[in-house]
Amino acid sequence: MIKKTKRVADYKQLTKELPTYDYTDPEYVHINLDSDRAKDYTLDVKEGDYVKLGQKLGERKGGFFTQPIIATISGYIEGTVKKFDDGANELTCVTIRNDYKNNYHETVTDRPESVIEKMKKEEIIEIIKEKSIVGLGGSGFPTYIKFSTDYDIKHVVINAVECEPYLSSDYRLIKDQPEDIFYGLKYTMQATGAEHGVIVVKKKKKELVEVLQREKTRFEHLNIDIVTVADYYPAGWEVATFKDALGIKMELGRLPMEYGILGINVSTCASIYEALKHNLPITKRHLTVNGDAIKFPQNIRVRVGTSIRELIKLSDGYVEDEGPVELVIGGPMMGTCAPNEDAIVTPTTTSLLAFKSVDHHEEPCVRCGSCVFSCPVDIQPVNIMNAFKRNDKEALENLDVMDCIECGLCSYVCTSKIHLTDYMRKGKKLIG
Amino acid sequence: MELVCKTAPHLRKPDARATRMMRDVSIALAPLVIFAIYQHGLSALWILLVAALSMVATEYIYYQIIDRLNGEKLRINNKSFTVYNFSVVTSGLIYGLTLPDAIPLVVVAISGAIGILLAKLIFGGMGQNIFNPAAFARVFVTLSFGTVIAYESFIDADLGATALGILNEHILNDTVVSADGYSYWAMFSGIGLPGSLGETSALLILVGGLYLFLRRSFDIFIPLTYLGTVFLLSVGVMLSTDAGWWFPAVHLLSGGLMFGAVYMATDPITMPVTRPGRIYFAFGLGVITFVIRLFGNLPEGVVFSILIMNMFVPAIDYHKWAKNKFTVKSATIFTVIVITTIILTAVGVNYVL
Repeated sequence: MIKKTKRVADYKQLTKELPTYDYTDPEYVHINLDSDRAKDYTLDVKEGDYVKLGQKLGERKGGFFTQPIIATISGYIEGTVKKFDDGANELTCVTIRNDYKNNYHETVTDRPESVIEKMKKEEIIEIIKEKSIVGLGGSGFPTYIKFSTDYDIKHVVINAVECEPYLSSDYRLIKDQPEDIFYGLKYTMQATGAEHGVIVVKKKKKELVEVLQREKTRFEHLNIDIVTVADYYPAGWEVATFKDALGIKMELGRLPMEYGILGINVSTCASIYEALKHNLPITKRHLTVNGDAIKFPQNIRVRVGTSIRELIKLSDGYVEDEGPVELVIGGPMMGTCAPNEDAIVTPTTTSLLAFKSVDHHEEPCVRCGSCVFSCPVDIQPVNIMNAFKRNDKEALENLDVMDCIECGLCSYVCTSKIHLTDYMRKGKKLIG
Repeated sequence: MELVCKTAPHLRKPDARATRMMRDVSIALAPLVIFAIYQHGLSALWILLVAALSMVATEYIYYQIIDRLNGEKLRINNKSFTVYNFSVVTSGLIYGLTLPDAIPLVVVAISGAIGILLAKLIFGGMGQNIFNPAAFARVFVTLSFGTVIAYESFIDADLGATALGILNEHILNDTVVSADGYSYWAMFSGIGLPGSLGETSALLILVGGLYLFLRRSFDIFIPLTYLGTVFLLSVGVMLSTDAGWWFPAVHLLSGGLMFGAVYMATDPITMPVTRPGRIYFAFGLGVITFVIRLFGNLPEGVVFSILIMNMFVPAIDYHKWAKNKFTVKSATIFTVIVITTIILTAVGVNYVL
């Protein structure tokens, strides 16, 4: 009601204690050739070719980066199809039929710890680039670009806050593979020359802190801290996380590197470990299948490129209910809606949620101010909505609509059920 | 399975409803209604009923006419009518509770109808109004029918005037709390006190305010700042004259201040949306109320101050300067203004003694 709302009901108890189900042998995978960041691509294989797990199939070309396309299973190429990504963009995908042999490509070999320890910064970054590591928290930003910064990095922050409701994939990852995260952090610190590493988790997740503290005893020679942050939304937003964990207050619109911070998601950290230790690109993804329209919510480890239709089948389908269902990829607060089940799991897919669609009856705004109080970037959603409605660009400019991080809190708290976040997006489009 | 696509967020807060907020205000008013009937008898019941019904009926008829004009069929159950979310019922009750106990019912009905029509409906109904409909209706009563309203007294027929009425004759008239006057307990509990139906019992108003605060159905900063401002100003006056502590106490406890601060000024539709804005707004309310009480012709200034500050809401919320939090600059300027206002009032009061 009229107050600063910080918490969002989290619904994580549905899945967080369930073990991760391994579904790493789908009949087909569809590997996207283009992405919303990279429109051009080259493909070195053709229909009928046999490819091995971890093999490079071609290259994605973005405006400022290139990225290898990687086979995530071994099998035969079956031509290209059109699929969707988590942002509902149409993608061209190459289909691989599984031969169920899990034949690893020759390049996938273990690298001894002693070799890694002697590697230079540039060499590590080169491997990260080669193995196509991107920000797995949802951004999909190429990690090697982040790492090759010219700024002097002092702190590496592993973001394991996972503040979105319903999601428990990062939770499971930490619980199941804490060692990978510590190694990933170690390599990241080596690659950036940072002296200090921080793993940030929510205070509420005591089990994780316990696991991490335990694991930390094996890495005492490194300057690693496990920091807990308060339970609020959006505690996992970079700026909030750095402020809570390090006490460094970032100005909006500046890069964390300017403050000597490099922040990466915990899944990215684990994939850095895989890339360096096993020379393996991202082929698997931890994700949560959840939501009130899913019959059996669970955590699944899947191959990148699996169709989400199969994931829904694995979770016993939708609950029997006549009403329409919203299919969401990503968290419920910021995730995007999949128009159909033809979307594929990309490296950045953190979850698949299905909700019974509720049509919220929008009432007139009573100016209660909840959206203004709750906004994490201190803008005024209600005034922005009014400015947008009267097409007032000057007011939108003055109201700093561009600062909006689209966290969804304003819509969440609205007492009149007005979809304010949508107005923020429209307002940004109008002046952006 | 039918799939639909919507934009994020896909979750909404379960218990956040404007209806709940309005209903809470009605619930918080219930003790005051009961107290008014206990104190003033059936006449209070009639006044409250007429006040609420006049507003509800006006809104109903208005929307029926509007819908007919828009070419919709006449239906008993009108869609646009907002009685379901308690908005108009709350306005009607608040309006009724500000009325004196001796007032012709026809005056109540006319003013109620005009209040809701001119202050709310012609602006576009719920959420669009600039002025608080209850305050508008109450001011309409004062200005148009000032001669037909009166406050009855119970205990002492000679007294016959409210505490503020006495102070209006002479602002430092401490007979109001002398042996013949009102005890502090009477002013706090409202028992046996002459005055408007719902404004006399500070105790019950605070209970209602506590309920609203616990339910987070109003912004506690408005009544706190409003009452705090009046308190500070009256302390300033107390220090610059030879008045005792009775002066701030009487100003806080008497008249419509408590009621206005808790129920009328906190109407979210007619206040700014930012925290600093709301504090400026409530500060303005306090200053105007006190200035009208001290220097004005009328004994009471709460409803006027609410209407006056309502006009400034768009200015306070203007996009060029409205910020969600106090900055060092805005906090400094505001503090300077507060201190200057207190000093000016304390000095100025010596010229009207």
